[in-house]
Amino acid sequence: MSELRNILEDSVNRLFSDQLDWSALEKHEKNGWAADLWAHVTEQGMDKVLAREEAGGMSGSWSDAYPIIRACGRYAVPVPLPETILAHWIAAQSNQDLREGVPSIFSKGCALKNGKLVLTKEGLPWGGRADFLIGIINGDVVIADTKNAVVNPQKNLGRDDRDTLTGELDILATHPTPLDDDTVHWLGALLRSAQIAGASAAALDLAVQYAGDREQFGRSLSKFQAIQHHLADLAGLVASVDAIAITAFARLDSAGISGNGRNARFEIAAAKCRASEAVEKITRISHQIHGAIGFTYEYGLHFVTRRLWAWRSEYGGVSEWGENLGRIAVEAGGDKIWPIITNKGQ
Amino acid sequence: MSSIADQLRFEPASLPPESEALREEVRVFLNTELQDYSVIQRSHSWEAYDAEFSAKLGAKGWLGLTLPKEYGGQGRSAFDRYVVVEECLVAGAPTAFHWVADRQSGTLLTRYGSETQKKTIIPRITAGKACFAIGMSEPNSGSDLASLKTKAERTNSGWLVNGTKIWTSNAHRADYMIALFRTDPDPNKKHAGLSQFLIDLKQVKGITPRTIENLAGGKNFNEVAFVDVELPEEALIGVEGEGWRQVTEELALERSGPERYLSCFFLLRKLLDELNGEENPAILSKIGLQIAWAITLRNMSISIAAQLQAGENPTLAASVVKDLGCQFEQALPGLAQELCQLQPTLEGYGNSYQQILGNLIQIAPSFSLRGGTPEIMRGIIAKGMGIR
Repeated sequence: MSELRNILEDSVNRLFSDQLDWSALEKHEKNGWAADLWAHVTEQGMDKVLAREEAGGMSGSWSDAYPIIRACGRYAVPVPLPETILAHWIAAQSNQDLREGVPSIFSKGCALKNGKLVLTKEGLPWGGRADFLIGIINGDVVIADTKNAVVNPQKNLGRDDRDTLTGELDILATHPTPLDDDTVHWLGALLRSAQIAGASAAALDLAVQYAGDREQFGRSLSKFQAIQHHLADLAGLVASVDAIAITAFARLDSAGISGNGRNARFEIAAAKCRASEAVEKITRISHQIHGAIGFTYEYGLHFVTRRLWAWRSEYGGVSEWGENLGRIAVEAGGDKIWPIITNKGQ
Repeated sequence: MSSIADQLRFEPASLPPESEALREEVRVFLNTELQDYSVIQRSHSWEAYDAEFSAKLGAKGWLGLTLPKEYGGQGRSAFDRYVVVEECLVAGAPTAFHWVADRQSGTLLTRYGSETQKKTIIPRITAGKACFAIGMSEPNSGSDLASLKTKAERTNSGWLVNGTKIWTSNAHRADYMIALFRTDPDPNKKHAGLSQFLIDLKQVKGITPRTIENLAGGKNFNEVAFVDVELPEEALIGVEGEGWRQVTEELALERSGPERYLSCFFLLRKLLDELNGEENPAILSKIGLQIAWAITLRNMSISIAAQLQAGENPTLAASVVKDLGCQFEQALPGLAQELCQLQPTLEGYGNSYQQILGNLIQIAPSFSLRGGTPEIMRGIIAKGMGIR
């Protein structure tokens, strides 16, 4: 584990555990935009872990960014930090620096028409709050101004903003990028895998804590073998989601996401496929262990489980990513699949 | 709040270049060596016993890779061994003859064996010429291993053993057995009364294996009777009364390898061939989910190999991977049956895919029995989580 990653893991956990207890999450859900939290995050430069040093960034690796993005899941962070980290990285790939302000990312189906950006119905993370949008169209990074957009406010199950924007948006800048047009969709899936890993870790920790505290039939729930086996099952699943997510981040560092040949796409698809699949059982077991209290708004398990249900399908779920991998496997056939799995790429 | 989730993490590990170079060599070797084996033989994988093949693998220097050079081992890394094992499993190589020796017996003897045991036996393990059996379970001691009753009593010249072991793979043809016996009958010493022994099955008298046929007709395992078996003093491995601790270490080796998710990989390969040209997204997605599982389990498994290489004892992590790997490989035969809409058949009937399917559907129940059940694994995980 790199030193930067260790430092970031410590500081991000400290920041969010200070800032985001259940009452703060409740307040943010009622008030909308968590301006103070966003200020803390950007003051500490968390959003710039992948930005160039020239732009005040850390020039970190994706593996360094992993603990930040995982923590965004773990603490149910209600600001677009993962998306902003990605936006900085996209800019850095063309040796550009991201402009000031809150970005949102768009991933597909958008088009340039008469020098304007025309959006689809895609729910954009905090699109209504965003000062500008960033995405990739026809080999160019496109940055568009949100000021002329008509905002249709939408939320996902986590009650995080997923607004749709309509209208013709002014282009603020374009620059050529080595990245493919589908990169935002793929890396969006990668971000959500890490967030699912984090939210799953929180659900596990809450379930273990609760099972230890709650007594029935004269002993704590965690002394019942049935409960122990549920928790062990849950722990294994949570560990597996974390393991494949961090593997995908490490592979992205070593093999990239563009070009022919063996890049990180295989692991990214696997990470989102597994993470999305695991959500069903992780949420089911963690709620079951909590009993009725976990079904209340007052007890905060829902801050992570509602996000798990939302993130399961954002940027593609089990069907999409499973089909992607299944197609590769069936086309490869029985003799080629193992060499693909074991290929170390670059 | 202390976080269980943070204690159970699998740091990504990467196999070193020399291990990847070894992989290529192993692949070329297996391609040549296995071309005359039928796909049905190959689907038996680590249950298929073939002394000749094991000797060839030994001659290549690929057995007992991690054992010290001074005893005839290679002194190579856990990663090198990992690569040889996974390539053999995926290719469906018949590895049963050397399997136990290579996986656990050699390491156990290196740690706890006498100089004589190490000097005489480890070179035979690395040559692929010593087959080992595991004497743990007894008719009345399965998951509750420490309740075992077969006793070894001290005599003037050594030990006298009486009792019965069961589910002992290859006991009828193995050269050696490493067995756990009760050396102290004191009921207060359930764990502390156990010791490990090395038994030369070709020399010692009074041991009678009886083959137990499994439900699929396979004849690998045995019930083994010990009647007044005389063992020499030096048959004791390690320290008297330390058998439980030693066997726990041995079980960690037994539970941590890639065979805990790759038993059915040969079937998955054949399934992909059967689905050649398939375009149905629902079917592709089911296949893809299995591939995603395989990639996940492989990376967790390599992470454990890295922990072994670093000299750590990954008991908890290994239990997690065994539990998850078992769920994965046990579900595969059913999926392979559903997606192909072909009847599974007995050997000798139907096409080769149907026969492989028929075999693996029948032996799949054993995946969650051998090497410790999911119930035992979850107990270990719960203990590691501090709730038991």
